[in-house]
Order: sequence, then C-alpha cells, then structure tokens
Amino acid sequence: MAETLVARSALRAHVAPPAAPAGAPGFTLREVPDLTLASVAALKGREAELAEAVRAAYGLDLPQGPKRVASGPVAFVGAGPGKWLAVSSAATDFSALPAAVADQSDGRSAFRLAGPKARETLATLIQVDLHPRAFGAGDVALTHAASIAVTLWQLDDEPSYEILMFRTYAATLWRWIVEAGRSRGVEARLAG
Amino acid sequence: MSQSNRLAAGGLIDRASSIGFTFDGRRYAGHPGDTLASALLANGVKLVGRSFKYHRPRGVLTAGSEEPNALVELRSGARREPNAKATVAELYDGLEATSQNRWPSLAFDLMAVNQLASPVFVAGFYYKTFMWPAKFWEKLYEPMIRRAAGLGRLSGEADPDSYEKITAHCDVLVIGSGPAGLAAALAAGRSGARVILAEEDFALGGRLNSDRRLIGDKTSAAWAAEAVAELESLPEVTVLRRTPVVGVYDDGVYAALERVSDHMREPGAHQPRQRLWRIVAKRSVLAAGALERPIPFGGNDTPGVMLASAVRTYLNRFGVAPGKRAVVYANNDDAAATIADLAAAGCEVVAVVDARGDAPALHAAARAARASLVFGGAIARAYGGRSLKGCEIVDGRGGGFKVACDLIAVSGGWNPSIQLTTHLSARPVWDDRLAAFLPGARPVGMEVAGAAEGAYGLGDALAAGFRAGAAAAEACGFAAGAVDVPATDQEPGDTHGRGPWRSPVKRGKAFVDFQNDVTVSDVELAAREGFKSVEHLKRYTTLGMATDQGRTSNVLGLALMAEITGRSIPETGITAARAPFTPVAIGALAGAHRHKEFRPTRLPPSHFWAEEQGAVFTETGQWMRAAYFPRPGEKDWFESAVREVTTVRTAVGVYDASTLGKIDIQGADAGVFLDRVYVNAFSSLAVGKARYGLMLREDGVAMDDGTTTRLGETHYYMTTTTANAGGVMRHLELCKQWLWPELDVHFSSVTDQWAQYAIAGPRSREVVAALVDEGFDVSNEALPYMGARELTVCGGVKARLFRLSFSGELAYELAVPARYGDAMIRAIIKAGEPFGICPYGAEALAIMRIEKGHAAGPELNGNTTAADLGMGKMLSKKKDFIGRTMSGREAFLDPERPSLVGFRPVDRSARLRSGAHFVPRGETPSAANDQGYMTSTAYSPSNGHWIGLGFLARGPERMGEIVRAYDPVRGGDVEVEVVSPVFVDPEGARLRG
Amino acid sequence: MRIACPFCGPRGVDEFAYLGDATVKRPNADAPDALPAFVEYVYLRDNPAGLHRELWQHALGCQSWLVVTRNVRTHVIDQVEAARDVAAARSSEAE
Repeated sequence: MAETLVARSALRAHVAPPAAPAGAPGFTLREVPDLTLASVAALKGREAELAEAVRAAYGLDLPQGPKRVASGPVAFVGAGPGKWLAVSSAATDFSALPAAVADQSDGRSAFRLAGPKARETLATLIQVDLHPRAFGAGDVALTHAASIAVTLWQLDDEPSYEILMFRTYAATLWRWIVEAGRSRGVEARLAG
Repeated sequence: MSQSNRLAAGGLIDRASSIGFTFDGRRYAGHPGDTLASALLANGVKLVGRSFKYHRPRGVLTAGSEEPNALVELRSGARREPNAKATVAELYDGLEATSQNRWPSLAFDLMAVNQLASPVFVAGFYYKTFMWPAKFWEKLYEPMIRRAAGLGRLSGEADPDSYEKITAHCDVLVIGSGPAGLAAALAAGRSGARVILAEEDFALGGRLNSDRRLIGDKTSAAWAAEAVAELESLPEVTVLRRTPVVGVYDDGVYAALERVSDHMREPGAHQPRQRLWRIVAKRSVLAAGALERPIPFGGNDTPGVMLASAVRTYLNRFGVAPGKRAVVYANNDDAAATIADLAAAGCEVVAVVDARGDAPALHAAARAARASLVFGGAIARAYGGRSLKGCEIVDGRGGGFKVACDLIAVSGGWNPSIQLTTHLSARPVWDDRLAAFLPGARPVGMEVAGAAEGAYGLGDALAAGFRAGAAAAEACGFAAGAVDVPATDQEPGDTHGRGPWRSPVKRGKAFVDFQNDVTVSDVELAAREGFKSVEHLKRYTTLGMATDQGRTSNVLGLALMAEITGRSIPETGITAARAPFTPVAIGALAGAHRHKEFRPTRLPPSHFWAEEQGAVFTETGQWMRAAYFPRPGEKDWFESAVREVTTVRTAVGVYDASTLGKIDIQGADAGVFLDRVYVNAFSSLAVGKARYGLMLREDGVAMDDGTTTRLGETHYYMTTTTANAGGVMRHLELCKQWLWPELDVHFSSVTDQWAQYAIAGPRSREVVAALVDEGFDVSNEALPYMGARELTVCGGVKARLFRLSFSGELAYELAVPARYGDAMIRAIIKAGEPFGICPYGAEALAIMRIEKGHAAGPELNGNTTAADLGMGKMLSKKKDFIGRTMSGREAFLDPERPSLVGFRPVDRSARLRSGAHFVPRGETPSAANDQGYMTSTAYSPSNGHWIGLGFLARGPERMGEIVRAYDPVRGGDVEVEVVSPVFVDPEGARLRG
Repeated sequence: MRIACPFCGPRGVDEFAYLGDATVKRPNADAPDALPAFVEYVYLRDNPAGLHRELWQHALGCQSWLVVTRNVRTHVIDQVEAARDVAAARSSEAE
C-alpha cells in the first residue's frame, strides 16, 4: 500500500514571503489552517427545513443577508440569496444538512488580519467601506481584492478580519497583503 | 547663494532653516515651504524654460497647477520626471531641476531660430506644410519636428518607485481648501460626518495664504491655520494634502492623486511615490476656487510678466518680490490688492494701466503707491528677451511711452475652476455679469461653493462654504446646526474683468496659450480659414491641448474667437473638460499591479513539486501550468514533449488536470437542467458514469465542452475547459436564475477543492491499483471506460477516480482534496516508477489531443457549430436545449460549411502550420477559392510526421483528396491529404482496454 | 457607476458583469415559428435613448443575476431587482 499523504498549505515562503516590521506591528497576518468549509444551498421548498436543521444542530439562526453568525467552533456566513458558507474550526460534518452541500475545506484558503492597520491595508485591495459605522463584527462582504474574489468578515473590534479566497489564489493574495502592509508594519508569518 | 529677492519678513516659509537645490547644475538656497518657482524667484532666476515651438525664453506666469511656462525636469536618472511645474514642485533639500526643451543651454538656445521660421509654425502647420509627399513625413518631417518642438524627456529607465491605490468612503468630500473649502469642511466636520478634505497644494488655505485679508481679528492665513488645526482634531475628518481630485465619476465616485513622496528626494522606506484614491462620497462640495486670466499683448511671454494674483502669492505666501519695478496691467479692480501689496513689500509700482476708462479702486491704489495711472490704456509691447526690461504703454488717446520695469502684473479677470463639474458631460453656463463660465448642471450629490461658482468675495466664499458643508452633512443625516460666518474686511470691488480681452496694439507675438505657443494671430488665422467653432479652433491651433489643458488660455481663446467673429461667447461654445484634472502618471493608475503582479497568478496543487522537477511553466489565463519537464540532454521543448508523449503512449505519464473548471451540481432538477444546457442528455446518465458533453451558445455556436459525471441521483460533477471555467459558471447561473428559476438546482465551484491528476498510458491501471486502498477494484470490469467512483487512496484519503482519457490511452483521472495534492503527485510518481512513469506537461497534452482529434480552444473558436465539429449527431432531438433552434438555421445547414477533418502533408517531412487556408489543388489562392482553415498542428511522435486539424468545406466527404494548405503570412504552401481527425487508435481500443 | 445589489448593497461597477437586454424572453422552442422567434431573441435589440432594462451579474460578489433599470444616457439607475424574482413574476403572469 502506498504511504499516507501529508496535508499541505497552499503557501510556501518563496511565493508568500513572510514579513517582520521594524517596530511594533501595525497588524498581523496569519493563515487560518484546517477550517472545515462547506457551501450550503437551500433546496427548493425545503428552506424552512434547512433553517430548522441548522438551529437544531448548531443553535444558530441562518443569517439573511451578508452576515456571519457563530456559536462555538461553527459559523454560518451569508453567501448570497439562499446560500451560505458553513465554517468550522473543528472537524464538522455538514453533509447531513438537508441542502445542497459541497465540501470546500480544500477549495478555499483563509487568512486572519488583526491590528490597528488591518483596515487601512485592506482598503488598498478592497473597495467595500470597512469604517466601523459601515462594517462591524459579524458583517460579511462578498467582494474582490484587486480582482481576486474573496469573502471577508470582521471578527471583533481590534479589528480582526478573516478573508477567504479560492485556494489557488492564496499565494498571490498573501503577497499583495504583505506588499500593502510593508509601510503599515505588517507582521506576517507562515505556519510551521 | 544669495536670495536677493527674498523679502525681509513674512510668508509661510521656515526662514530658520535653509535648504539647497540646483537648477541647471547651479546651486541655490531656499526655505522649507518654498516651491521651486518661489525659490528661483527669490534667487533672482527669471528664465526657467523655453517654449514648445519657438523656443522663446519663458519665466514663471502663475503660482499654481495652471502654470503653462515654468516646466522643468525634476531629479535625474531613473527618477527623472519631465514637465513638472516649478510652481507646484515643493522644494526639498537636494532637489535637482533641469530646464527642458533647449539646446545647447537655456540662455543660448539655437533652436530659437524657429522664431525666424515662425510663418512655418503657425496654426495648422502640421496639416498644411508637411502633407506631401507622404513618405517624407516619417523620415524627415516628424523627426525634425520632434527635435525642434517638444517638452521634457522621459528617463527611459524603469520607474524604481512603487504606487498604491486605496479606496475611501465618506459622507462629504470637500475639494479645495481655500476659504469656501475650509468653511465647508468645518461645517460638515463639526456635525460628526465623515469628511475628506482634498487639497492639491502642500499648504492648506488657498488664497487665504496669498492675500492679506482679515477674518474677524485674524489675518486670513492665521484663520486658515486655525481651521486646519480644528479639522485635524476631528476624528472623522481626513485631510489630504498634495492631493488633487482628478476625476468625477458616476454615483459619487471621485479619483484623487496623493503625491506622497514627490516632495522628497526619494520615497521613504516602503512608501509609495503616489497613491491613487478612489473616494466614494455621498456628497461633495467643489471649492476649487478660480484662476486669473492674462491679457495678451506683444511679448507677454517675456520672463517677468506674471499674473497679478500670482505676484501676491509670491509676496505674501513666500516672502519673495518677483520684481523691483512693476507695471500693473488690469481690466478689473482685483489688481488693487497687488498694487498695495507690492508697495507694502517695498517694490516700486511705476505704472498702473487700466484697460477700462475709469476705475476708482485702481485709481486709489495707484495713488497710494505713487504710481502713474493710465486709464483706457494698454501695454503695447514688453521687451527684454530673456528678462523683462521694460514695456511700451499706450494711453488710448494715441499717446504712448516706454517705461523700464522688471515685472508686469497682469489681471484679466477670473475663471472659476469648474472642470470637475463637467466630467460627467454637463455643460457650463456663460454669465455675462461675471464674464465667466459657471457650473451648469452639477453632478449628482455635488455642490459648488465660493469662487468656483463665481462668489469671489472672501465673505461670500466663507458663507457659501459653511452653507454648502452644512447642507451636505444634513443630506447625510447629520445635524450641522447654525454657523456664525466670521466678519471679513473690505472686499476689493469689481473683480470681474469683462474685457478688453487683449491689448488693441498688435506688435510682436501676443500669446494666448503659452505652453503650446498659440498667439492671438493664430486665433485670427483660424477664424480666417474657417475654423470658427471652438472645437475646430482647439484642434487647428492646439490651443488648450498641452499638459496644462489650457487652464489660463481656453476661455481667453474662446473670447477672442467670439470677438473676431462677432458672436457672443455662448454662441462660440466651450470645449468640455475631461478627467484627469491634472496629469496622472500611468504608474499611479496601475498601483501595485504591474510586472508579474499585473494580475493574480493561480498555482495548481502540483506547482511546488513541478518547480522542484525543473518544469518550464506557461501561463494559461491566470494559471501557471507546467509546459514540459526537461531532462538532462534535451535541448528544447520539442524534444522533451516528444519524449513525454512517447512515454505516455508506451508506458505511463501523469499530468496535473486541476486547472480544468470543476462544478458541483446538486438538486432534484439537476439532470433536467443539464439536459437543457448540454446538446446531449444527462438525466439518462447512470450513477457512477461520466459522459462527454457539448454546450452551445443560444446562437448555435459551440461554447464549451467537458465531461460530467453523475455521482448520485441528484448530484453531478461537471468539468469545463480551463479557459472557460468562469464563463461557464456565469452561464449556468444565468440559466438557473433567469431562464428557469423554477428548477431545483445548485452550483458550487470546486475547481480549487480538488487536485485532479490524469494518469495515462498502458501501465496506468497498475499505477492506480498501487495507490487505491484495499478493497477497491480498478479492473476494467469494475471500472470500465467512462466509469467513476468515490474511494480512498493512500490509507484513507477520500478520492474520486474517473476512467477518462484525453490522450486516447488507457487513462484515469484521480481527484483528491487539494491539501493532499502536493503529496499525491509525489505518491503517483513513486508508485509509477516501476512502470517508467514520467510527468507530462501542457505541450505533450496538446500533441496528444491533436493526435486524437479532440477539439480544444482553436476549434471552439466562437465560429463553429456542433456539426462543424463533427458532433452534429450528438444534438438531442428529444429535448430543447440552449442553441438547439438556432443550430437549425439555414447558414448552419449549408453543406459547403467547413467541418472538422484531419490533414497530413503529402511530403511527410513538411511542416504544417495552423492559420493556413485550404485551396483546391491547382487553383489560385483567393478569397473565392478559400475552402477553410487549419486550426491546430503538431508533430506527431506516434505517426512520425506533422499532423493537423482544420475545417474544410465538405471535409468528411473528401477523405484522401489532396488540397493546398496556403499560408501567405509565413510563406507556407504545402500539399496536404484530407484524413480522419483521429490519428491514433481510431477504434478507441486502447482507452477501453 | 455603482449598482445596489439587493443582497450585498451598493458596489462599484467593477464587481459586475454586463450581459445585455433584459426585455427579451426566450421563445418556446416547440412553437411552429420557433426559428424566426429565436432569431429575434438572439439578435434583434432596441436601443432606447433613456431607460433600459439590462442584465448584470454581481460576478465578484454573490453571483446574483440582476435586472438593472438604467438610463443609458445619464447612467442613473432607477431600480435593481434580482433576476430570479423578475423571472418568477413573469412566468406567473404568463400562466
């Protein structure tokens, strides 16, 4: 039998360079590893059944609109009319939900940006208004970072953000964030 | 290094520190707060540049971004920037400036002989003089003109600096920081609204810093400084200095260019040179002020002739006397302040020439300055060449006299800076009382305040600014409250400058557009020759077409044309201003996205492994794909690709097919939906089976193809071509959301979720068998051709295994979650080693698909139908599908339509090229004899000669016939035999084996 | 130009993909005059100088197809609706 396979990140230092600031970091950049992700779409006529199942399994009301609701390791992120992204920081099986569920755990990479300069750095790549009056913890934006499709949400008021992109774009987006972050004290470290 | 013209006191400069700079290699000193222009003037340097066509000596005309004359090259080496305006270039220690468009030196310019040839260089000379013979243009005229006429030089080196783009949202954007702008920003900012104040200058305050006015008990400059301090203390107010707003776009989007590092020798660590702001504002207040107009007279471009308002700026803001003996020439009362300020600074005002008959304000100012006053007069001519020495004044009654002077301050009235109101195509409106164009319809959400809407008085501008700022904030839901508009001192009187528009005396060249060397005579000539419309005037004379976009010349040129042709100004028209308001470097538009970062790069799961193997990569859209994997001793791609093909056909190879688009499709109606988007049926496909599918556009032309597998009763897995993945997804969503919203079907892009490897070749089954976990049978019986199953590999990793073949060999596609993609390719290679496996790249794949006659991009080229591709029989008769009806249109049924066949050269050693057209043997190559074209060619290692695919009229009926493949572009003319498009294993025995 | 996506809110035009006329309806392929009806559906377009209904997709967003009612002379957008809602309303009217 063949040897077991090792899981690897989409990032390597030569295409996703780390960065250390000269002084105190303006923000930190990290990959969020091992997320369980699934796209979830409500089947026709079974929307209520799905909402009930999510409530029963995770104690969450499916958000209407671009919002993120979370409970424990599990979160649901509005991804379009009748569509959600199910996210979990633990091993979670979403496939039993009464919905069209597609595993995306390997389809997306996720980064976390945290710190006072995270917002301004994102503004060099993303055109959505991230001012606290317009975008706060729990808000979600389906948008693009200089043409790379992303899903962005704010976790807390530090502020910290998580940004998801299709996995094969991860190295490029990491580079672009680091580039924009250099003048803003980015501290970027690859896992491992 | 004496600053001989620096006043003893005053100005917003830091006199405590001195900074050095060079101009044409000579060292000078200035102070922080200076512009290059003010520092040169302080050092007594008046000659700053040479003009575009005639190489006439030029000095500083203005004190702002409207400057047409004082253009220089800044810095040297790769950072050299041509055509920088000395009037906005902020002085820094070590600034290097070089005059441009002169040879061999600024003071002695041989090209000034162009003046002697000026009859040749008049308006329209491009059109008239050099028209014939045409071939002379490229070889003689253009190089000659380029050497003689022109502006600064590009460095010719790569720009070493970086640029950045950023988006900002706000409630209120205030454009300009003069009295109206500061007031608007204060009113809006105090309400708590999010405010951005953008000012192109490095100092905030506009004319508050240029004029000696009083607001309450403070000087106007002190009031401005306090206002700025308050604004900067407000948390929701952003003040952007050195940031002109350059464009207005629909729905409250504005572009502004922040010159982050232009005032430094080089940018600080990691700092961009410039930052392009995209500002999304709910409301905006345009408070861009107004620019003074010159009055043309002979020699009005002599260094030392300056706008009267600019004279005040140099005196009051920079503490510089631009001259010691001044003549003031005006057609309105605004120059009274210039006379007073010159006198206060200790300059002698020798004469005041008022073009009007009587003007008490100027009379009083002239008397106070002990200047002689000429009513109804004009300057006939200025003289002095490289530096103004004097002028001839006529008094309007036939008399005249000469006076010696080194400064002429000209005041011809004001033009509101309304350009940003016209970017969305609104037309300005002429106002006779103000003698100026005022904003017409405002862009939605924009208010105009202060001098930009003709409110020239300081008190009026402040009041309008507070009003507009408050209204803008209130429109965004903030309570602005009442504002006490501070009191101001006496306003100057009638500053409107309703003419005369020029000196009545014609002596020497009287310039209208200084930068493009357009004179009053050129405007007259254009009128005589019939170019009377303002659009023709502009194009015929180039008036207003230089880098200053005619800021000081457009209205003047228009007024002169109106006067010459006896029409009103509105009848003569106005040319529209478009973005950008000031020149923008291309680098700023690109921002960080240049060179390899121009667009994102997608790395397939095997990328890092492929790098280790020394793969040579090719870009396919955004993807980096391995093109081939060279081995030692192989001298080019061809050798490597041929070896890879041979290995696949005789042993086994592996290819990363992850770049194919992959779409997960679920829902009760998934099968019905696929029936409607593919020409063939998928609802009848058995679970665990894959099928090739062809999609058409609604017009009947082929759109994309791929295989779709049925994973479950209501679950399918579609693959698309790499190039069309995004387009297919959009198309499916359109069909679902717009055409058939009643269907229960859902898509999820899983392109990135799965690492998918094609394992192909007669030994592929043995490799696959070594990888799958125990208990999974991959025999031909258990997993036949076009079978698919879900299983685990390498000890429990979930996987999907498809029995698909693009190469024509026995082959599988093995998909694992992408995180295992890197380990999977290594495991495949290891498992394949005993069978002689090699990785193959896109080049080998391309050869093999041509050998098998599979259509790809060159065949799915937006012109071809299913029938053209030889797939007419696939079109289902039992169901409707996208493109079905239009497939039956007459032109598509024409039997003469070229359809897909294969070709091989009659002379087997001949090379084939795609792009060749087919012509019957013995016929002349002509459009009438054109019977189709070659789309794909390759050297076939399996056949030992070149092969081709192409579309030929009645192709399938002409097997064995010989036609010409005629390729005049590359000189090709080869006889080819029409054959089946399948060059390898036509029965398909191998892939089913 | 900015388009107010009903799900995501107002976004810059760079997030949207333009398709074209939203006033044409896909004909019944089984009708006897299907071919001429399809020719009209595929090729023939009005070009109104003013309000027009257009299909746009929020391609770099929630993937919703939208029917945007836009003045093509001024770019002023009157209304943005989800295409699925417009389509559903249209088919229920037709019944």
